[in-house]
Amino acid sequence: MKKAFVENFLAGSYSLLLHLVLVVLLVIGLESTSTPELASDPSVEIVQATVLDENLVEREMAKLEEREKQEREAEQERQLKLEEKLEQTQEELARQEREYLDMQERAELDKKQREKEAEAERQRIKELEKQRELEEQKRLEAEKQRQLEEQRRQEAEAERKRIEEQKRQAELERQRIEEQKQKAEAERQRIEEEKRKAEAERQRIEEEKRKAEQERKRLEEEKRKAEEEAKRRAEEERQRAEAEAKRKAEEAAKRKAEAERQAAEDALQRQLEQEQQERDARRVQGVVDQYSIMIKQRVKRYWIRPSNSESGLQVTLRVTLLPGGDVKSVSIVKSSGNPVFDRSAESAVYKAAPLPQPSDPKAAEALRDFQFIFKPE
Amino acid sequence: MLRQWFKLVALLIALVPWPAQAVLTIEITGGSEAALPIAIVPFGVEGYAPPEDISEIISNDLASSGRFAPLDKQDLISQPHEGQQVNFQDWRLLRSEGLLIGKVSSQDGQNFQVQFQLFDVYKAEQLVGKRYNVPASGLRSLAHQIADVVYETLTGEKGVFSTRLAFVTEMKNADGSKRYALQVSDADGANPRTVLQSTQPIMSPNWAPDGERLAYVSFENAKSEVYVQELSSGRRNSVASFRGLNSAPAWSPDGKKLALTLSKNGNPEIYVLELASGNLSRVTHNSGAIDTEAVWMPNGREILFTSDRGGRPQIYRVDADGGRAERVTFEGSYNASADISPDGKTMAMVHAVNGKFHIAIQDLQTGAVQVLTDTTADESPSFAPNGRMILYATEQKGRGVLAAVSVDGRIKQRLGESGSAVREPAWSPFRR
Repeated sequence: MKKAFVENFLAGSYSLLLHLVLVVLLVIGLESTSTPELASDPSVEIVQATVLDENLVEREMAKLEEREKQEREAEQERQLKLEEKLEQTQEELARQEREYLDMQERAELDKKQREKEAEAERQRIKELEKQRELEEQKRLEAEKQRQLEEQRRQEAEAERKRIEEQKRQAELERQRIEEQKQKAEAERQRIEEEKRKAEAERQRIEEEKRKAEQERKRLEEEKRKAEEEAKRRAEEERQRAEAEAKRKAEEAAKRKAEAERQAAEDALQRQLEQEQQERDARRVQGVVDQYSIMIKQRVKRYWIRPSNSESGLQVTLRVTLLPGGDVKSVSIVKSSGNPVFDRSAESAVYKAAPLPQPSDPKAAEALRDFQFIFKPE
Repeated sequence: MLRQWFKLVALLIALVPWPAQAVLTIEITGGSEAALPIAIVPFGVEGYAPPEDISEIISNDLASSGRFAPLDKQDLISQPHEGQQVNFQDWRLLRSEGLLIGKVSSQDGQNFQVQFQLFDVYKAEQLVGKRYNVPASGLRSLAHQIADVVYETLTGEKGVFSTRLAFVTEMKNADGSKRYALQVSDADGANPRTVLQSTQPIMSPNWAPDGERLAYVSFENAKSEVYVQELSSGRRNSVASFRGLNSAPAWSPDGKKLALTLSKNGNPEIYVLELASGNLSRVTHNSGAIDTEAVWMPNGREILFTSDRGGRPQIYRVDADGGRAERVTFEGSYNASADISPDGKTMAMVHAVNGKFHIAIQDLQTGAVQVLTDTTADESPSFAPNGRMILYATEQKGRGVLAAVSVDGRIKQRLGESGSAVREPAWSPFRR
């Protein structure tokens, strides 16, 4: 009996609590729809600045505006979604209410038997409990009310901070854009400057090139001129040298011809002289030969050689004669080694004197100085 | 370029005067071996006249050698006796090979001073000159010495004019008996001195190499004996008196031995006697023949001898120690009495031609024989010590005389003038 009682009691509490929650949710949902503070206009301040690249800025501005528009639309969408969500929640609640009511009705039908049995008792406890629960409920509701307020306050504060942050971000973004713009401007200017410098450099190089080309042409010209001059001079020199060589060659040829003529003349003269000399020499030689034989015969006749002369003995004498054939001198050119043999030869020459002498002076001259060789056989 | 060179060379050749062609040379071959004309001027005399005509002796000596032809005295242009008196040109005209002048002077007629000078008249230079002091008895000998000097100066060979001859003379006494003498004369046959006399035959004198001794055969004891006699002292002794024949002694070149012919064993054989010991060794052994007339070869190892072992006398050669003899002569049927030249190359011998005995020489190397004499009874040839002459004995009017012939046969002469028959001459060696 007691157990049934507890179970009834718990089921009753649970139902009660569920009702309470539904009530509270209904209250909160009504409050939030009534105060839509979120839709604040984001006012974007456009900074006036000297626009160098109108298009770029305009593009940037358009971008910004587009972004803001998108943000606004997103915010509106979000609000719509929130409202939808609220409606969904209310519908859910209504559905849960209906389910709960169905379930309650079924439970009421079961319980009505038992409750009627313990009605009296439970009625009394319930009265007591109801008193206390009411008190507790009031206290909890107060507490809940306070927590809800605190939550709303925190949420508002967060919302404010978020907006501020958004503003700050927008300002930063603006500054950033501005900075970007400046940077872009500076970059443009830098590029412009670089372009200018590059142009100047190009022009300078161009100028230098031009000058170098000029110099080259000048040098080429000079070189050409110098070469022409050298060529001209070389040609002159060559011609002069040729002329000189020709002159010299002609002179040499002349001299050579003269020399050859002279040589030929001389040769002829010499030949004639030589022939004459040869004729003379032959004649003289003939006379000399003839007188040599006569001299030989005569000296031989006077030569008394030592009777025991060895056959190997031989003495060579040099004899000079006086004109007329007398002996001027006799000297031993090469001794036989045997003094008696040598002396016999010397004596033979002396004894044979005067030696036959030709009347021809040249032949006589040839026979004035000659040699004898004496040998036994 | 090359052509220019040729031209240049040709020009140079043309310009260079040819050196007087290689000196003309005339070759004289042959010549003659005629006697050398020499002018011998009679020596001048100062003081006592010498008993000998020195220049005449010299002239004869030189002429006898056959190597000199002294000019006739009447051809002498002048009579210089000293060098400074000589006009060489005069003598050149006479074409004499030499000029000999000199003079003899004596204060007492006993001692004489002799000087001579030999000149080459063409070079006008003195070849030799000497001065001597001799007693009168030495004048002839001195003359021969001077002749030797002249001879040697002009021929290059030693003269033999101072050498001597030994020979045997035979004289008949009035009663018909004979007298024999061993004589020694000058080389010209003059001035003979008797060293031994005997009534019995003396034979085969032979000079010892020292020229101081003679060996000979004497029959003085009625038998043949071999004696050795010293000339200066006359001392003599018998060295071989064996039974039978003791003959034909021949001195060995060293003078220590005699080769002899002995028949002590029946048949005449050649023996060698050693003089100092008297040892006798037999050289030949041929009982059927006569072996005799030994002569030593100059080498002292071989002996030449005559033998009729072949039937007729021929000359053989045998070792002095004995052994087999070999025949040396083949030309003619009679060859005997050999002598050998000092150089050992030429052998002289008696060579019979048609029964006539001549002196001939045979070249021992070639075997060629040359007859030197035209006399008909020649015997005992003996070489002069210089080998230029051969002394021999021959017959003149049936009487033996001395003669000499040059080895070339050109000079033949009689030597000496004695009244006795001369036989078996021997020419001495050079004086030592």
